[in-house]
Amino acid sequence: MFDDRTRPPGTAPDGGQPRSSQAELEFRSLLDAAVDAIVVIDHKGTVEQFSAAAERVFGYAAEEVVGRNVNILMPEPYRSEHDHYLTRYNATREARIIGIGREVRARRKDGGIFPCELAVGQVAGIDPPRFIGFIRDITLRKQAEERLRRSESELRLAQELANLGNYVMHLDGSEPDYYSPQLCRILGIGTLDENVALPTLLQRWVHPSDREKLDEAMWDLNSAQAACDAEYRILRDDGSVRHLHHIAQVTRDPHGAGHKHVGTIHDVTERRQTEDEARQLQERLTHFSRLSTMGEMAAGLAHEINQPLSAIATYAQACQRFLKSPHRDDADILESLEQINAQALRAGEVIRRLRNFVKNREVTREPVDCNRLLDDLRTLAETDARLHNVKLRIEAEPGLPTVYADPIQLQQVVLNLVRNAIDAMSEAPETRREVLLSTRRLPDGEIEIVVSDYGTGLAPEAAEHLFNPFFTTKAGGTGLGLAISRSIVRAHGGRLWHTPNEGVGARFHFTLPVSPAPKGE
Amino acid sequence: MIKEIRPTVFVVDDDAAVRDSLRMLLKSVGLPVEVFESGQEFLDAERDDRPGCLVLDIRMPGMSGLELQVKLNERHSILPIIFITGHGDVPMAVEAMQAGAVDFIQKPFRDQDLLDRINQALEKDAGSRRMLAERNMIRKRLESLTPREREVLDLVVAGKANKVIAGDLNLSQRTVEIHRARVMEKMEAHSLAHLVRMVLEVERAEE
Repeated sequence: MFDDRTRPPGTAPDGGQPRSSQAELEFRSLLDAAVDAIVVIDHKGTVEQFSAAAERVFGYAAEEVVGRNVNILMPEPYRSEHDHYLTRYNATREARIIGIGREVRARRKDGGIFPCELAVGQVAGIDPPRFIGFIRDITLRKQAEERLRRSESELRLAQELANLGNYVMHLDGSEPDYYSPQLCRILGIGTLDENVALPTLLQRWVHPSDREKLDEAMWDLNSAQAACDAEYRILRDDGSVRHLHHIAQVTRDPHGAGHKHVGTIHDVTERRQTEDEARQLQERLTHFSRLSTMGEMAAGLAHEINQPLSAIATYAQACQRFLKSPHRDDADILESLEQINAQALRAGEVIRRLRNFVKNREVTREPVDCNRLLDDLRTLAETDARLHNVKLRIEAEPGLPTVYADPIQLQQVVLNLVRNAIDAMSEAPETRREVLLSTRRLPDGEIEIVVSDYGTGLAPEAAEHLFNPFFTTKAGGTGLGLAISRSIVRAHGGRLWHTPNEGVGARFHFTLPVSPAPKGE
Repeated sequence: MIKEIRPTVFVVDDDAAVRDSLRMLLKSVGLPVEVFESGQEFLDAERDDRPGCLVLDIRMPGMSGLELQVKLNERHSILPIIFITGHGDVPMAVEAMQAGAVDFIQKPFRDQDLLDRINQALEKDAGSRRMLAERNMIRKRLESLTPREREVLDLVVAGKANKVIAGDLNLSQRTVEIHRARVMEKMEAHSLAHLVRMVLEVERAEE
């Protein structure tokens, strides 16, 4: 329907010289200056004008496109449908795109498809109508959008997987606060009401035992430090307890305004529970090992309690005889009675130490004097030594600083090493049967406790598996003693190892860090 | 005149209380007692083989009771040993008895049980010492015989008549009778049976 008379200026299909006029020149300049690609078509879809930007976007030269159906610039299915769209519009004048604009896909000369924003206008006052299309390549924008969308969804997924939520609180009210969906899930609420600030909620829900920790964190955040890193528990509305790891800091924009809190809250409940369970299991195992040690020592303990009882009985019988004797000496009777008293206390002391040792109790940390610890342990250790005709010798370096430890667990370690040493000497000749327990301070400040024996020493193949759980060279052993001893020492920040003794036997060493100087000293 | 030495109860126990209580008990019945805290201390003490008995703890660090017993046996000690044992020491006690201990008693014990055992041990010790003293006496008498008298004695103990002995030794029967009378006198024998018993006693001990 377009013929040469109606053809706009500068678009001669024969490539002939355009008929110049002021308006044509202006139109052409406008066309070529436009950033968006501009394509003008007639009512059948034949291209009349193809701007410089269009040449760049589509990769066609204008003369390759002008006079051809505009559908060569479209991928399927638009390519086949476009003529039909035009026919329908010409028939119904029902605008589906004209004056609306939408995102579509377009096709370059090289066959590449790209996203674009298309706006179509109808040239006014002409019949049959002509249409002018503005095409903007939005590949980069689309890519950026896609990247953003992906990174948002990845962040969301990452937050879900890590059970970590984040928030931004604008303290100056310049922008609405942001709470990530995962944060709301962690807190067990649908969404956070902007009117109820996060700190208020946390203050309301914090576990009573952890209130101080939260207060301290908030104080840190508002102090010069302007940051906090705290772990505390909350009691949620649904009654469940969650362990939260909360990290936050205060930031300002370069002008010093835009005062805001940026923070993450990590739900570490599962990890804490797993750690708790592992710790409880370890404690039960440690206790079990102590019980089993005592079980192995039962004969020796019976002997140890029998000694004072036997002495008491003998003293008492001596007293009776003294009293019946005509030439008695009251001093002997008095001395015997004093001894009866002392021996009764001694028997009680053995039982008290035994009870202390096997009692299942909370693990503690307190300043412990290693030399006193060895002294306390002596009763139990000597019990076993005596039973095996072994001498127990203690060489303590005087004036050692204290270590920060659980005294019963340390006794367990020493007793275990002493028992091993005694067992190692079951075949040793009488003159060698001695266990030496020594303490000293190492140059680096640590305390070292050494248990030396003069027994059979360690076979290389045994030395290799020594610390493996359930490895044992003893008929009735659990194989847990050394494994547990090492884990106890490690939990105290120390090391446990062994060396050959000079000449014969083995030495087991362990170290403990010195406790920090007590306050007020 | 041999001075009578009172028998002493020697106590070896590493446990100070048990040791001291035994000292008190023995003192209460008027028995001389000496206490030692280890086997080595007991061995080191110069006892001059004094009469008495040993009350010994079977379990001790260093030298155990059993090891002390072995050492005493090596020294041909005749001191009777009463072992004090704890619970579950029966196998050790059996070993001790096989090595010559007179008795063992389990802690804690009734004082009378221990005292009875100590008295038995002291009696046994006294008996052994009497026997040893007698043997020594017999040996001394035997040593006082001349070679000829010894020859006559051996044949008399072998049950030979004077006539046979005279033939064997190429002596007159009268000379044999004189030697025989000298032997009876030197050996302080009341009768032929007594003489034979004394000689056999020494020979048995020397076997």
